Amino acid sequence: MNTYYAANLLIYAGVDIIACLSLNLVFGVSGIVNFSFIVFQAVGAYTTAVLSLPPDSTSGYDFQHYIGGFNLPFPIPWIGGALAGGLLAIPVGFVVLRKLRSDYQAIALLVMSVIANTVITNADKFLNGAAGLALVPQPLSTQVDPSTDAYYYLYVGITAVAVVIVLIVANRIVNSPYGRSLRAMRERELAATAIGKNPVAMKMTVFIVGGVIAGLSGAILVGFIALWAPSVWLYPETIILFAAVIVGGKGNNIGAILGALLVPVGFEEVTRFIPPIGPVGLIPALQWVAIGLLIIGFLWFRPDGVRPESRRVFEGGPAREVR
Amino acid sequence: MACGPSRDGFSRAVRPEKFASVVTTPGQPMLVATDVHRHFEGMRAVDGVSIEVPRGQITGLIGPNGAGKSTFLAVLAGTLPATSGTITFEGQDITSMPAYMRARRGLVRTFQLPSEFARLTVIENLLVAAQDNRGDSLFGALMGKRYWIADERRLVERARGLLSRFGMTAKESDYAGTMSGGQKRLIEIMRALMLKPRLLLLDEPMSGVHPKIVLEIQHYLEALRAEGLTILMVEHELHMVERLCDTVVVMAQGKVIGSGTMASLRRQREIVDAYLVG
Amino acid sequence: MDLYLEALGFGLVSMSVIAIAAVGFTMQFGITNMINLAYGEVMISSAYVAYYINRAGISIWIGMLAAAVFGAVFSFLLNRFVYAPFQAKGTSLIGMVIVSLAVSLMIANLLLPIVGYYSVSYENATGDLLHFGPIILTTNQIAIIGVALLLMLVIHGLLRYTRLGKAMRATAANPTLARNCGIPTRRVIDVVWLITGALCGMAGTVAAINSDSFAIANGASFLITVLAAAVLGGAGQPYGAMIGAVLIGVITELSAATWSPQYKEVVAFGILVLVMVLRPQGLLAKRGALAAAG
Repeated sequence: MNTYYAANLLIYAGVDIIACLSLNLVFGVSGIVNFSFIVFQAVGAYTTAVLSLPPDSTSGYDFQHYIGGFNLPFPIPWIGGALAGGLLAIPVGFVVLRKLRSDYQAIALLVMSVIANTVITNADKFLNGAAGLALVPQPLSTQVDPSTDAYYYLYVGITAVAVVIVLIVANRIVNSPYGRSLRAMRERELAATAIGKNPVAMKMTVFIVGGVIAGLSGAILVGFIALWAPSVWLYPETIILFAAVIVGGKGNNIGAILGALLVPVGFEEVTRFIPPIGPVGLIPALQWVAIGLLIIGFLWFRPDGVRPESRRVFEGGPAREVR
Repeated sequence: MACGPSRDGFSRAVRPEKFASVVTTPGQPMLVATDVHRHFEGMRAVDGVSIEVPRGQITGLIGPNGAGKSTFLAVLAGTLPATSGTITFEGQDITSMPAYMRARRGLVRTFQLPSEFARLTVIENLLVAAQDNRGDSLFGALMGKRYWIADERRLVERARGLLSRFGMTAKESDYAGTMSGGQKRLIEIMRALMLKPRLLLLDEPMSGVHPKIVLEIQHYLEALRAEGLTILMVEHELHMVERLCDTVVVMAQGKVIGSGTMASLRRQREIVDAYLVG
Repeated sequence: MDLYLEALGFGLVSMSVIAIAAVGFTMQFGITNMINLAYGEVMISSAYVAYYINRAGISIWIGMLAAAVFGAVFSFLLNRFVYAPFQAKGTSLIGMVIVSLAVSLMIANLLLPIVGYYSVSYENATGDLLHFGPIILTTNQIAIIGVALLLMLVIHGLLRYTRLGKAMRATAANPTLARNCGIPTRRVIDVVWLITGALCGMAGTVAAINSDSFAIANGASFLITVLAAAVLGGAGQPYGAMIGAVLIGVITELSAATWSPQYKEVVAFGILVLVMVLRPQGLLAKRGALAAAG
């Protein structure tokens, strides 16, 4: 098996797992329908890119126009990317996490992601518009040659470490009394306030944490593919991730990981083996149709997903009837 | 009755525990509402209500349908903002305090319609209400299980004590959403008690509940009163109000039209007229 | 000054196109309390239907009628076989949003292999240019304005003066009560989807007539502009949608003329977000917009 192919698969899997863990935290556990999720990943990627790129006046890079260009070494750009995701959550959170019916909130967020994409596409000097940023310096590329197999192993390793860290953080939050409060807020916000929970603070907190994780996922992705353009983060990308969380099972981290492996990863891999039949673009189009069917199918037949949220039982309690 | 802690730290014993907290200044009314209004879209649901809720007693809030009782309760709890007027709790002005802060200070409400957390188990419904769990914050959660497990175990014990007292031990690990109407009502009351409330605002606690459980709830409320808990309850069932409540406030059309004991109220013509059903 | 008047002229056409679409969209929301995010794709598919008819040599205006029929049937089927069952199942508001998003994705991608990625245009003479002072409009554009006015009058007449209209308003206000009063709500809902689907189809066609060319990709931006008009006017209120369409039409054309043509659509999108966040009930308030998170 080709090392590049394997590395590509593993790294995308890692990125998708991290993204799904973030979305599960925000949506699955806390009930915030963040339909602008992809923008958080994009902010992380763009920030990482402009932190690691040299100034746009540098020769070899001067075909692009962008802000920043501080040429910082790994891991600073990644930390910057993660923080950017968290910072973006603050204004977006203030604007949207108000008393609004849930579908309005979701649509407002979706439209905001469309606006962001359109604006960045048109603002040529900001982040190089539609063409996006290319030749983004890859982490540790000065120490290890990026075209070697060794580099791929290294990158997979770094991604794996990131996945483990995010998983620990996600687990600690979800399986704690705080996670329980989040779930209560998701179930019935009014009753949650009646028992002393501050929903605005909780939602904002979770939104920021989710943003940090999403930003990190963007950093990892851009560090690997070394480019980032508006076409990479169109609004349907958010829908794929929502499909993943719904299919895998929302409200729990294992479900999120499962969803990430089944939907974005599994899907890509399965269709890779289908020969390009029919007119150009038929297979990708059918992929989207299949994703749509998957979402509708699961929402109809198995809304709890492949692995539903599990019931928590405390030791020392009475024998439970098996249901 | 104590059997000692088991290996996993969760005691199998049930210790009787007082679930109401100790009152501060005896004699002073616990809650004072002064000229509270709640207007919304032209409707004057609460139209200048002033009451004092005496401490350590069960006060009833009665009146015909549409009198504004539930709305008033919601304003006291902070679920709805008052259009004007002031509310003082334990001497402190809480008029602009959000609902969750009032709950933290001991002013806790229950709801008329079932408000359990359906996809949490019965015991989780109770645990989530506890105020004193180190793991109930982002920082605490990130610190990991070791940081908050002691608090959790203590609270599980306390919750189990409540469950035992209210006869729901066997249902501990069932989803609250699968419980019957009466059981959900009990869960809400127990959940409120986990907060160690000083004043419990009950919105029609007996409605839609099986008569047998109604009697149980009545006994629990009497026991809680004996422990010093103050209760203000909206209730339709007048016999219940007569048995349970020390004082009664009558509302009609957004205003208070009388208060006192049931016996004295019956003697007032206007009240009987407004109510018709005795 | 001329610049503004010229923009106003374009605004007249814009608002006409948007009005036809927005009224249909908002009525769907009013009657079923769901935000049909597949509306834009139905618009675009109908526009393609008109395109194929047009390619066979038939006038685009006949094509528009065909598009109306197509839109009507398509929307009706969509509600009958997808939306209504999910709602009957008790799916949450968010669930319905996700369902309609999934449907819109499917429609767009089923269409793509059939019609291709590349933009197409109608074959119709744009007609003579007519001058009203600084305002320059083609006969087609005048026709569009005329069609819009006609449809608005028809809808107004329908809602105000017919039994069906009364039944529709009653069902939208309180379905249970309407049913108890003997109104056959299921049939009323079906009829509403047929009518609004027809509006959707016609809107798609006129939007395509008004643009130089169109492609599947336009579906999403149509949708958001229509959403902006509907929400601005007050979701569920047909007259609100008309007002919203006028405002969106004028504001976007003015911004294109005075500020930047690239961001014309973004202005509409921005208005949508602002309205949703600051005044979700829109201009003509109706219950539902401010309901607690459902």
